[in-house]
Parts: sequence; C-alpha cells; structure tokens
Amino acid sequence: MLSTLTTAQNRFPKPDFESGYQYPDHYYPVPNETLWTAIDILLLAGMMSVVAWAVLKQRTRKPIIWISILSVAYFGFFRSGCVCSIGAIQNVSLALADPGYVMPVSVLLFFILPILFAFLFGRVFCAGVCPLGALQELVNVKNYRLSKALTTVLGMIPWIYLILAILYAVTRSSFIICRFDPFIGIFRLGGDLSFLIFGVLLLIAAIFTGRPFCRFLCPYGALLSLFSRVSVRKPTLTSHSCINCELCHNACPVDAIMPPYGNQVKESRAEGVRRLIKYFIILPVMIVAGAFLMRAASDELSRGHKDVRLYDRVVEQETNPQDILSIDLEAFYGQGGTIEALTEKVEKIQNDFKQYGTVAGALIGLVIGITLIGLSVKRTRKTYDINEANLCKLCPLLQLLSAE
Amino acid sequence: MKRKIARNIAVISAIFIVTFSIMLVTNYFQVKDVNPLQTEVVETLKEINDANANNPALKEQIRQLDLLARRAYFIRMDHLMTGVYLLMGMLILFIITLRYYYAETKHIPDKEIDPIDEWAIKPQARKYIRWGVAGMATLALLFVALSSPYLSSSQQEEEIPQDEMVAYVENIVESGEYIQPEDNTPEAETPAEAIAADMPGETPAEAAPETQPETPRVTHNGFRGNTSNGISAARSIPVTWNLHAGENIAWRTEIPRGGYNSPVIHGNCIYFSGADEQVRELYCYDLHTGKQLWSLAATHIPGSPAQLPKTTEDTGLAASTVVTNGKQVCAIFAIGDLLCADTDGKQLWAKNLGVPDNHYGYASSLLIHGNLLIIQYDNANSPKVLALDIATGAERWSRSRTEKVTWSSPIIAHVNNQSQLVLMGNPAITAYNPSNGEQLWRVECLTGEVGASACSAAGIIYGASEYSKLVAINGTDGSVLWESDEFFPEVASPVATKDHVYIATSYGIVAAFDSQSGEMTTYRELNAEFYSSPMLVEGKIYLFSNDGKMHIFSANGDLPLLSSFETGERTFATPAFTDGKMVVRTEQSIYCVAAN
Repeated sequence: MLSTLTTAQNRFPKPDFESGYQYPDHYYPVPNETLWTAIDILLLAGMMSVVAWAVLKQRTRKPIIWISILSVAYFGFFRSGCVCSIGAIQNVSLALADPGYVMPVSVLLFFILPILFAFLFGRVFCAGVCPLGALQELVNVKNYRLSKALTTVLGMIPWIYLILAILYAVTRSSFIICRFDPFIGIFRLGGDLSFLIFGVLLLIAAIFTGRPFCRFLCPYGALLSLFSRVSVRKPTLTSHSCINCELCHNACPVDAIMPPYGNQVKESRAEGVRRLIKYFIILPVMIVAGAFLMRAASDELSRGHKDVRLYDRVVEQETNPQDILSIDLEAFYGQGGTIEALTEKVEKIQNDFKQYGTVAGALIGLVIGITLIGLSVKRTRKTYDINEANLCKLCPLLQLLSAE
Repeated sequence: MKRKIARNIAVISAIFIVTFSIMLVTNYFQVKDVNPLQTEVVETLKEINDANANNPALKEQIRQLDLLARRAYFIRMDHLMTGVYLLMGMLILFIITLRYYYAETKHIPDKEIDPIDEWAIKPQARKYIRWGVAGMATLALLFVALSSPYLSSSQQEEEIPQDEMVAYVENIVESGEYIQPEDNTPEAETPAEAIAADMPGETPAEAAPETQPETPRVTHNGFRGNTSNGISAARSIPVTWNLHAGENIAWRTEIPRGGYNSPVIHGNCIYFSGADEQVRELYCYDLHTGKQLWSLAATHIPGSPAQLPKTTEDTGLAASTVVTNGKQVCAIFAIGDLLCADTDGKQLWAKNLGVPDNHYGYASSLLIHGNLLIIQYDNANSPKVLALDIATGAERWSRSRTEKVTWSSPIIAHVNNQSQLVLMGNPAITAYNPSNGEQLWRVECLTGEVGASACSAAGIIYGASEYSKLVAINGTDGSVLWESDEFFPEVASPVATKDHVYIATSYGIVAAFDSQSGEMTTYRELNAEFYSSPMLVEGKIYLFSNDGKMHIFSANGDLPLLSSFETGERTFATPAFTDGKMVVRTEQSIYCVAAN
C-alpha cells in the first residue's frame, strides 16, 4: 500500500500551547486508484453487457433491477458518484479545445464506452448502469404521465444544458454538470444544502413519474440519443407483429413509445408543407439570433469564470479598500498578483466566451429550429414503435411482451 | 394483510423521514457557523493569557476547554452522520414497502377507448416552444440590456435629482470653454435650450441620455491612486498626445490657483486644490468637459492662523494631494487647515490641526482607508499620524511619532490578508494597523529629508530616500530583505510590481531593481529632473519629468523606453488615471488625455 507524508496543513490547528508532546508525522494511506479505476471500467463494461443481454436477448427486466441496485451502491455511494460518464463530457470537451489539458484514460473510457454501447445496442447505460438513472428508477412507484406536448418542450432542456456545459468547460470556467449535480449530495451523504434539496425534490418527483432528471435535464442522455437513433441492434416491442393493442404506449412511463398516426386531425398537405417551409426558413434566423444573443451576453456569462469574478473583487477592493480581505483576494495579493496581469487574463477569457458563446448560441438556435421542424413532419407510421432516441430499455412491459 | 402491514410501515417511515429531515435541517443551521476553535470563553481566556503569560493554571484551563470544544464538535458531527444513516435506512424502508404495497395494484394497462392522435399534440408542443423561445429571447435581451454600459449610465443619470441636473447643465453652459464639435449654441439660450439645440427634434429630457457620458469605473482616489502605491487599473490610455495640436487631448483648462498637489478622479469628477496668499481652495472639475463644477474656499476655519507660515516656492501652500471616496472629498493646506466637503461642494466639516512647523512647507498627502481619513502630520513640533472619521472629522485614533519633519505620504500595503498603513520618516519606515493605529513594525533605515513615499507589492514594502538607501522590507514581520545604495529618489516615489521596483531620481536616473535580490537590472540616464511620481498602468510606467516631458517605459527589468515626447508645460504633479483617460496637472493648467 502506497503511503505518503502529508505536508498539507492540519484541518484544525494544533492547540496553542506546547506541552512537550512530540507530534507524530502524519501518514495517510493513498488508495490504490489504479486498481479501483480498472474495477470501475470493467464493471461499467460488464454491467452494460448484462443489460444489453437482458434486454435484447432475454427480454427480461429482473437482471436490470439488480444491475441498478449494484450501480447505485457501487458507482453511487461507494465511489461517491465520480467518475461519471455525464461529467466526462466536460473533460472531453476541454481536451478537444485545449491540447494542454491531459485527460485521464479512465475518463475517456467512461465517456466512450456508453456511446459505443449505445451505437451497438441502444441506451443500455441509461437503462440501469448510470447511478443517477438507477436511483430514480429504484424509487419509482407510480407512473403519472405528463402532457406529451409539455414533455416535448422540456426535452429540449438537456440539449441546452449540454451546450452550456461544453461552453463553460472549453473556457476553463467551471464543470457545471459536476457542480450542479443534484444527486452527488445524496451519494456523498452531505453537500450544498440547496442541491441536496433539489436532489430530494427530483427523487420525490421520480416516485410518481419516470426518471425526471434523465428525461428533462441529463446532457449525456441527449448525446447518447444521437447514437441510439442509429444503433445496430434496435430493441423491438414484440418479437411478433404489432397488433396495435396500445398496451405498450399506455404503460410506458417515459413516453418512449410512438403510436401510429390515427390521422384524426385533418390538415391539408399544402398547409403542412407551408409550415415546414416556414420553419426551414426560420432555422437560419434562429441560428443567427441565438449566436447574436449569446455573443451579446458573453461578458455576463464569463462571470462564471473565477478569474472574472476575482477581477471584479480586485477592482472593488482597489476602489474601496477593506481591512479584511476575502480569501481569494488574500490569495491574489499574497501571490503578488497584479491587476494588469489579471486584466490581461480576463480579457482573454472574455474573448473566449465571445467566440465559443457565439457557436453555443448558434447551436441552441439549431436545437430549437430542428425541434420545431421535427414537430411539423408528418409520419406514416402504422404500428406502435420505440423511439430509439428516447429513454427506453427499462420498460416494465418488456417482461409483459416477452411472455407473448 | 401483508399489504396492510406494508402500508402501515410506509406511513410510519414517511412520518419518521419528515420529522427526522426537519430535525437534521434544523441541526444543520445550528452547527453551520460553529467554529470549535473560536468559542467565546476560550477566546476571552486567551486574551487574559496574552496579558499575563506566566500563568500555568490558566494555560491548563484553556487546554482543557480547547479539548472539550474539539471533542464536542466531533461528537456533534458523528451524531449528524448517524442521523443521515438512519434517514437513509428509513428512506430505503419507505421505498421498499411502498413498492410492495403498489405491486399488487399493477395490472396490464387498459386499451384506451379514444386514443389521442399524436398529430393533434404537435401543434400544442409547437405553441409551447414558440412561447418558450419568445420568453428566453426576451429574458436574454433584458439580461443584455441591463448589463450594457449605456443603460448603467442612463440609470445613474436618473438617480440625479432634477434640480441637481439643472445645476449641472448650468455649470456646463456658463463656462466659457466647453466646446463640442457641433455645438453652436448662442450664449443667450437657456441651458435647456442649449441642449435642445444640440439635439434637433428631441426634447431636453430625451436628449439627456445622449449628453451624459459613461461614468468610468476605475477611480484614482488619492495621491498615486487609491492606495497610493502608484498603480492604476485603468485601461486604454493613449501613449502619445500633443497638447498644442489637440491630438488625444479631450480638453485643457487653465487653473485658477497654483499648487504642487496632484489631481484625483472619482466617477465623473476631478478634484484638486490650489492656494495663494489670498485664499486656499478645493476644486471639482468635470472629467468629460474640463469645466469647473464647484470650488470651496477654506475660510472661517476655527484655529486657522491669521498669518501664513513661510513656505518655499517649490512647495507652496497646497502641495498635499486631496483625497475622496466618492461621497466626501478632503483637502489639507500647509497652514494646517483641513476641510471636508460632499461631492456637491458643500462643506461638511473643517478644522485646523495646528500650523505644522515645516521649513519647506507641509506636503504629505491625505489617504482614506474605509471610513478613516489618515493624515501623516510629521513636523518639528509634534510629529504624529492620526485618523479622523471622514463623515464628522472626529478623531478616531492618533499616534505620536519620533520622526523628524517628513514630506512623504502614507500608503496602504496589503500583507497577509491585512492592510498596513506604511509611513516613511527619518529615521524609520513604520507600519501601523490602519484601524487603530497600533504599530506593527518599524525599521530604522532612512536619514535626511524624506520626500518620497513608500510603495508595496506582494507583501513587500519598498522605501527609498536621497542620501539614504533603497530598502525592501518583509511586511509580515518588518525584517529587511535587502538594501541597495545605487540610486535614490528625492521627491518622486517608487513603484513596484512583484518582480521589480522602479525609482526616478531628481538627477535624471530611472532605474529598475529585482524585487527579490535587490540587484539593479538596468538604469537609464534621461537628463531630466523627476518630481512627479511614476504610475504603473497597463504594464507601462508613465513618468513626467519636471520640464513636462512624458516618458513611457515598459514595466520590466530592461525598462525599455516606449515613448518620450515634450508636452510643453512644466509638470510636477503625478497624473491621475481612469479608463481611457489621464488627467494631468501642470503649472498653468489641467488637461485630460483621451484617445480622439
């Protein structure tokens, strides 16, 4: 077991008076991270394989429940929710934007493996391996369905969250996915009170409706949906022909079953085409408007970076000096920081925000535009079908249908 | 039966969870701010122990209390964690029993009698998205608009009462030198008409936001900046200008009375003072137009002497730079008159500190720290440093000094999370706690007539004086880090970064020293005399020589001269900086440098 001499300051200072007692040197055993990381990756791959086998081959849900329990216990409580694939988005984004950033291989694997499995078998990671989703799944008792129109709109949030998370990561401002993780406080049995409350509220919501975080917030889920749309092995509702019994659609807790078009709403083809053309024309406008708005707001957005906030505090201190300095001002002055150097740094950060913010705004415009276009395309589906992009895999009716 | 039991367990565990959660949250708020090492009793006993160090029984008592406090803290933390584990256990029980209770109610979903056509839902979803996008765009626009500098200045203008606005406009129009490129307003016009004429088709109220310039954020509250360290956060300062051709000159105004003090800037106002044998005055000028907004004469001050003290020509009666905090502005003159006004020029208080016995004339500048006005009053009679409440003029603390007459000014240094008030003197550089005047350290290292002020960077204080030495002092304990006897300033104060310290002498040498070793990295002979102090702005050092030549160096060890040009007016004062603007006081005038 490796050990190291701790050179850091004690959490609490020693008593003020010397009594002649000789304090021993502090040795803290360092956990064998290499071993645990290897276990993490093996478990991740193994658990996803089991889920894929259970869903696609066995069409049974029981192994997934056990995988969920194991995931919550191991990745959640034991490993304290870190590393997680959701947060790895930010590491990968930063590594792509900044060649100087060295990303651990384990983080890359945590990011790549679920994507690879999604491409091969669909969203098996979400089904039971992700501790955040598994926790919500385990507490789910009743499924009250939300308005389909509302869930469609809320479904855009993960994309916007994903774009903002990448923006803040590539500008080295903050890993907002980790910072605002609502379940991390639960897994670590403590943390910021506001996020603990948010996490508990999400869990309470998860008791009554299927996986609210996964459906309306998770940025990694948005990313996986791209790959699951084109997955090699797609799950099917039934091994036989669909008889349009509607049972699956009514039972699905996460709106992942697409019904056939009843064609009850009569709309002329010309009208539908006109609307579609209108949205195609609006799409570039939305991209440009999004880019413009985000660029205009980039200075304010840059306040998410600690150096920009520090700059504001230093200017405030220079303008109105205070006797007691905050800890960051103490560090700034203590390290001989000059406002000139800080100003230069802040200007670079703000330029980065302008550049990346413009792209992020354009992407947000694109997401909204494509969603509108998607809502205007009339399909000719005759039977019930799984929406691969949506959160499907843990559906209780797999069991029902497998018994056909 | 089992289902009933499960239901009852679920209900009981739910009640337990709610009650326990409330208790834990309450406990969290109770212990959140508790610091086990700063209990009131222990702190009080420590203070008693500091006063009476040889009391073993007291030490033992403190040890025991300290141990108790630590133990109590960790026990409380253990209880908290036990509570969290209990809560988790009950949550698991609740979920399991609830799932069990509902397990039997699960059944194969019914077939919908009248299923909703998905196509019917899509228009509604599109409507929600349109609303959502409109809301987001509105919010974003509002966000951008609220943070724009244009709106900030407009808001600030709205805060100015109507009567003050009229007075402001009158001041601008009455003054003879306000010239705008398109301004052809006849003198007979009223102020409101004058503005309306500038903005055809707009009412005066609409025109106001156009004429109100943006208020700069960077201030220059006193001599050599806010803490008198010779550093400014200003940006976009021109590196060349021509006073006669008007290149990069926003305005130039003759000053009514002379004085060697430097201008200061806060918001849209410039403050400085002037004096002659008839009157001593505090002035406020508009930063953007150079018009005098008000002046306040130091008259009828109780204790003010009828006969003026003798001062030399190169010091005069108004050598001390004024100071402001944006609410009050204070000035001191060589006869000991100290006055404080609000930003409208209304006198708040005034007093005479006693005529300083100073053979050249009193020259130390004022300094504001928090709500304290700090005055270095080293003179032959009773040298002292004192702090007054800036709002009332009441004395907050005063410390006698053993120094000889000094002409330097106080500075604030940041050392280990604390501010230190550092004063030069003969024979010592001394640091005080600015809040109560307690002496922190004292280093005897200077001789002769001390005119230059100290400066600080990265916790190191630098002091230098002619016929003495340049010394670097560790602000933490007052230990001398290094000394140098290469070149010394006489009047101009040094300026420092974390890497270098720069001095300018009265015999034309500008030199850079390594801040760690004290080795001189370079020096330049410029055949000039420097009384004005160097200012470090945007990584450049701006330095006026007495003949009015501006020298701009890059602030590094090689001290490369970036620019050097005549301005045409003798300059002794140190310029003041704000974003995009530099205000210079010369012998005859005050002018503003800004890119045009």
